[in-house]
Amino acid sequence: MTENRYAVKVPKDLADLVPMFMSNRKKEIDALREAIGASDFEQMRQIGHRMKGSGRSYGFLLVTELGMRLEEAARNSDGGAAETCVAEYVDYIEKLTITYE
Amino acid sequence: MSEVGASGNSGALARGSSILVADDDEDMRKYLVRLLGLHGFQVEAVKDGDAALERIGESPPHLMLLDVMMPGRSGFEICEYVKSSEKTALIPVILVTALDDQESRVRGIKAGADDFLSKPVNREELIARVSALCRLHNTRRELEERRLAEEIQSKEEIRRTFSRYISPRLAERIVDTRGDLFEHSAERTNVVALFADLRGFTRLTEHTEVGAVVEMLNEYFAILTEAAYQQEGTIFNMAGDSMLIGFNVPFAQEDAPARALRVAEEAVSRIVPFSSRWQERHGVPTGVGIGICMGESIVGNVGSKHYMSYTVIGDPVNTAARLMQMAGMNEVLVCGRYFGSVSESISAARVESLGNIALRGKSEPVAVFSIKALERGKAR
Repeated sequence: MTENRYAVKVPKDLADLVPMFMSNRKKEIDALREAIGASDFEQMRQIGHRMKGSGRSYGFLLVTELGMRLEEAARNSDGGAAETCVAEYVDYIEKLTITYE
Repeated sequence: MSEVGASGNSGALARGSSILVADDDEDMRKYLVRLLGLHGFQVEAVKDGDAALERIGESPPHLMLLDVMMPGRSGFEICEYVKSSEKTALIPVILVTALDDQESRVRGIKAGADDFLSKPVNREELIARVSALCRLHNTRRELEERRLAEEIQSKEEIRRTFSRYISPRLAERIVDTRGDLFEHSAERTNVVALFADLRGFTRLTEHTEVGAVVEMLNEYFAILTEAAYQQEGTIFNMAGDSMLIGFNVPFAQEDAPARALRVAEEAVSRIVPFSSRWQERHGVPTGVGIGICMGESIVGNVGSKHYMSYTVIGDPVNTAARLMQMAGMNEVLVCGRYFGSVSESISAARVESLGNIALRGKSEPVAVFSIKALERGKAR
């Protein structure tokens, strides 16, 4: 059985922090689009670094994974790879379902 | 602005430990505050290095959790600052770094970090590392407090012991200098030497029972000791019925001659009524004879590794001893040099020059003056 990459389990004791977490992700996507438009790879790297740190801490494994890939793409000044990451990120945020346990 | 969190159910070790979190990522800050708070830690969080420094200055926490990359001062800089100050050096610092960031870990070790935590943060690892370091910090603090208490107790014991030989105030100063004062075995220095002994003592011992003699000696020495300590004199020797008190040692006393004079006057004025009482009781006249001289002497620790005595040796001491032997009951005899240093403070009516006297064991005659001690409450 394939694991549903959009299904996220978050510990109950963090439930009230999740709305703010999601709101910050949306701001992050806007900032990433802006950085890609301006070819600002340092900004992309910093955002990727932050995503890498916070995503899995809350239970959002894919945020951490995308953060790592973004950091790498920024280091390589690879705008195309960064755009792919952002597209995946947008798709993930739109489709994810959260359960608290 | 800082975020604060505390609640929970953690063990006794964590309770009461205050933790400062510094991270510019709002989500990470909230996450750390929440988890640590749930485990009973008192957590405060700030969003940059400068705010962290401010909080440390106001109230040092028990532990710090610092993100490495922050606006303003970095986690490394905060860590270096904390570890370089005596006041905060013992506070454990955990640096939060990326798992694969070896370079940051090496730099963190150089900055003095106590531990590292990887991002993304694993909650079990976070609590385990923080608890372990808090426990270590608390143990260190307890040991330090115990060591300080023992040091204070030990100082107090030393001070009490010293106080039986020198004035309590001098004992305090010696303890404060951690014994450095006695590091040099001996030195030449100017000393005012005062010898006192009890006149009539030998006759008294022949006519009085032992218990009464000891009682009298105790009273007599109590008077001399109190007088010496009031003037911060050092008692070098107490033998039979005589006592040697030194001034200007071990600490310099600019007014050493005046201090010695005050001791002589106090001793005579207090021993006179005491002698009258004893004469009434035992029929034997008693009184104190005092000799004072000053000059360069050798002062220091003399003896063997098994027994050491803080001693003063030299011509002024010998002269003071001879003058004491010559002095009549309740008389103070002083050498010319000493008299020169106090003459301005004594009225001529109280002084009688006895001329140059050849003292036993001295090749040259010594100018001797007799100073009539004041009765209590009378002007000089």
